[in-house]
Amino acid sequence: MAAASAPTPPSTAEIAEAAEPLPSKLENSEPDCPRKTRPGLKRLALTFTVLFSFLLGLPFLLKSVEIYRSPLPFREIDDLSAAVESIPLQFPCKFRAVFVGTGGSSFDANELSVKIEHQMRKIAAKDSTSCGACSYNSSVSVVIENGADCFRSDNDFNWKCGALSELNKYEDSGEYNDELFDEYLHSLVDESDSRGNGGNVYTMIVVRREGQKDASAVVGKYRHGWIVGRVSEEEAVKKVASVFVKAFVNGGKEEGSISGEFMPVGADGKIVLSFNLLNADPHDWIYDWEFQEIDDNLLAPILKYLKPIADISVESQVLYHTPKSSFSYWDEKLWSYIFTTKDLPFFVNSNEWHLDTSVAAGGRSKILHLVVYVPSATECPLLLQLPNGKISKSNGFISPMWGSVVVWNHAACLNGSKMDTRVRHTISSEDMRKIFEVFIGQLRQLFGLKSKGIFRDTSSGTIRLLTSESGFTEWELDVLSRQHTCFNLLQCTTTLGSLSRLVQSLPRMIIKEEIGEQVRYSLEAAKSALSNVSAGIYDASAVSSRRARSFSEDAFYHPSMMSVSYYSFEHCFAVYSPFFLPVALHVLLAALREWKRYKQESRKFKAWKAKKD
Amino acid sequence: MATSFKFKPLTISILLLFLYNAIASSASGSSSTTMHTNNWAILVCTSRFWFNYRHMANTLSLYRTVKRLGIPDERIILMLADDMACNARNKYPAQVFNNENHLLNLYGDNVEVDYRGYEVTVENFLRILTGRHERAVPRSKRLLSDEGSHILLYMTGHGGDEFLKFQDSEELQSHDLADAVKQMKEKRRFKELLIMVDTCQAATLFSQLQSPGVLAIGSSKKGENSYSHHLDSDVGVSVVDRFTFYTLAFFESLNMYDNASLSSLFTSYNPNTLMSTAYYRTDLYQRRLEEVPVTNFFGSVMETIHTDSPYRAFSNRYYRKSKTEMPSDQSGGGNRRALKDLDILEELADPKLNVRPLQSTYLLVHEG
Repeated sequence: MAAASAPTPPSTAEIAEAAEPLPSKLENSEPDCPRKTRPGLKRLALTFTVLFSFLLGLPFLLKSVEIYRSPLPFREIDDLSAAVESIPLQFPCKFRAVFVGTGGSSFDANELSVKIEHQMRKIAAKDSTSCGACSYNSSVSVVIENGADCFRSDNDFNWKCGALSELNKYEDSGEYNDELFDEYLHSLVDESDSRGNGGNVYTMIVVRREGQKDASAVVGKYRHGWIVGRVSEEEAVKKVASVFVKAFVNGGKEEGSISGEFMPVGADGKIVLSFNLLNADPHDWIYDWEFQEIDDNLLAPILKYLKPIADISVESQVLYHTPKSSFSYWDEKLWSYIFTTKDLPFFVNSNEWHLDTSVAAGGRSKILHLVVYVPSATECPLLLQLPNGKISKSNGFISPMWGSVVVWNHAACLNGSKMDTRVRHTISSEDMRKIFEVFIGQLRQLFGLKSKGIFRDTSSGTIRLLTSESGFTEWELDVLSRQHTCFNLLQCTTTLGSLSRLVQSLPRMIIKEEIGEQVRYSLEAAKSALSNVSAGIYDASAVSSRRARSFSEDAFYHPSMMSVSYYSFEHCFAVYSPFFLPVALHVLLAALREWKRYKQESRKFKAWKAKKD
Repeated sequence: MATSFKFKPLTISILLLFLYNAIASSASGSSSTTMHTNNWAILVCTSRFWFNYRHMANTLSLYRTVKRLGIPDERIILMLADDMACNARNKYPAQVFNNENHLLNLYGDNVEVDYRGYEVTVENFLRILTGRHERAVPRSKRLLSDEGSHILLYMTGHGGDEFLKFQDSEELQSHDLADAVKQMKEKRRFKELLIMVDTCQAATLFSQLQSPGVLAIGSSKKGENSYSHHLDSDVGVSVVDRFTFYTLAFFESLNMYDNASLSSLFTSYNPNTLMSTAYYRTDLYQRRLEEVPVTNFFGSVMETIHTDSPYRAFSNRYYRKSKTEMPSDQSGGGNRRALKDLDILEELADPKLNVRPLQSTYLLVHEG
């Protein structure tokens, strides 16, 4: 107990000291209370252990309240926007022209090439900033054939001179058969393609010879066109340039770009075509149709052809008791009921026409309704009269982003014979074919192209466009691919930009891994689309731009990103602080107090020791 | 009788079409403005329980109005608690009235409620606006608008300073609404948006909006209450609110072909009869209200383009298939002659080539 007895007086002194409140502020040791032993470390160790255990536990606490945010590549999204939005996307296109003439030509191949380029730039001046247009950077390759001579402007174009001497075979029949000529030229143009890149090369062939009438330009089903007949060289240059710009680049329209209401592809890259046969009044007659036959024979090849632009699926239904909601009046001269273009906005009777009943269409697909309207006996035949007084050839109209309507008057109605009302009649194949011709014309209109085959240009006369059994010619598909690529990439970048702004503005919102993946896929697809654009591969770029847009929309519209579901930081703080703040405060204060006391006591001890020595 | 009726709407629809053409042609100039292609309506009743009968009557009356003026069910999203018509306290079961004369049964036929009962929540409402639904949500419950859509958003219920009460358990704050509208604008889900709010202190609900292209009108300003119109002593509760009552009175005199402007609607509210000040904000809206017809939001519009001609490309296929069939329709003897010529041509031409009949070229040339 001797050892114990020694510290006892100082320990009581310690306790006495410790019992005194902190604001005693003893700076130096008072001579009446010297400290003769080292201050103990137990209390200090205790308080500091508790403090350190709190500090150790803090990271675990923070980890437990951490929210998972998948890291999004913000910088890459910004880079992509800069790449796409700053300069309008333009595609490389190659143009070629062949001049076959009996008369002497005053220019040589290079001069003609320059003249054509100059003319093209002049025509395209206003469209040069539109997205999806051709960049007019590469030069036009020209070949001039003059009897036996053959001059070329460059060696890229491997045209076989003298190939068109067999033109006489077609002359004998008196009238050119456009289709045969088109096929023949196609075989010639294909052979002359030395580099083997079938896409994005457009050719015009001008055959100058004496004839009765002036030549007009014709554009074939592939990627070439021709002008045959009496035309001067200047005229020919103008016509060639206008065909290149107005047809091959712009798709047969005046303005260069297609606006958003003619891009009916849904956000997931799909379109659902819903074909509806509407019987206005089944008490008069009931019609049915053989839709499967039409689908297999006519529709399926067209939809397969459009695959790079959109995944199209088809549904059909027959509806009854579906009157229209606009009025028509009887016209004596025309011996039929007339509705005008002013009635068109009110034609679709949305209360009775229940068209949007598709079960296959997902939430983000686009549905286009293609409607055949069979009028009732009180309005049969029903014809559409145009503002200029003529009767419409198609008897139909479109509404952009919604679909189209065709009014079909059956034969018995036209010649007034009686019909058996109890029997379900089927529309004949011939009539179905006619209806489908109108439908395909309307589908083209919904995509922004013209439904008829003539393009009237004031400066250089008419351009005739040949029709194709696939509904769209190859060069028209090129135009659509370019425009859709551009549109999809712009949409993709704006969506990703909005997404990154949204994510950054809500720092406590959970971003699931799925969203991060979708953003990465979207960026990948967009990059591949951009590289395809610069390489000039149109359909691959359309496909990857579609993928890019669909992934970006999936990411943006992910159902978990609702700001109402997440707490702000203040809320989190307010929840946890009543648990930890008071205890932490006490622990911290205790540690500080012990530390201060220890310092004080050890100073006193040192002073006493120094005095002793 | 029928013909004389047609002239007046014809002239009015001429004017309407000129207006649309003018707007469309001016809009098609720049790439940022698009054509107005369709109208949507989102009608929300945020109250439940029997004593809030008038809110459901408000919403159903407006539903009936927009349907009558042409917006189809597939473009209307109706959110109702829907507990009035079959309520045990309803003396007229399955009937909902908005006037004590009981002339019009709002719950009659063809009422398609998209969100009913407890599905009317703030979360679902914001999901509709922003478009973030679960994968399984059907199309009829989604707002499938695009950049050419005009949307009418009508909300009624109990509200206060910067909030709107949903079904007595949650609140929609004005900044939540403003945020949702901002996201809609970023994703271009609407071209123009008209917000009508019929609650107490309604104007505060849209005070935080910043997005362009939004027009908003509320039935009362901050600090004011909105009142019901009259009490139906037979049913036992108030059946309609004043703001909605006067709105409906305005629309009952319109039909689909009419051309009344939004400014005439907004100025038709009289503060003395409303017992509150109907406040509207136009600072985010570019067009002048006198030029905007009410059917731009409340009715249906379809931009239509006539189809010039059919795409004649298929005559060959079908002719090959049905070679022995005679065409059934009598019109066009000329066609018959051309088909005979085709016989001769087919014999001469190379069968391997894809021959298309000459008639198509004939027709194209003559049309020129």
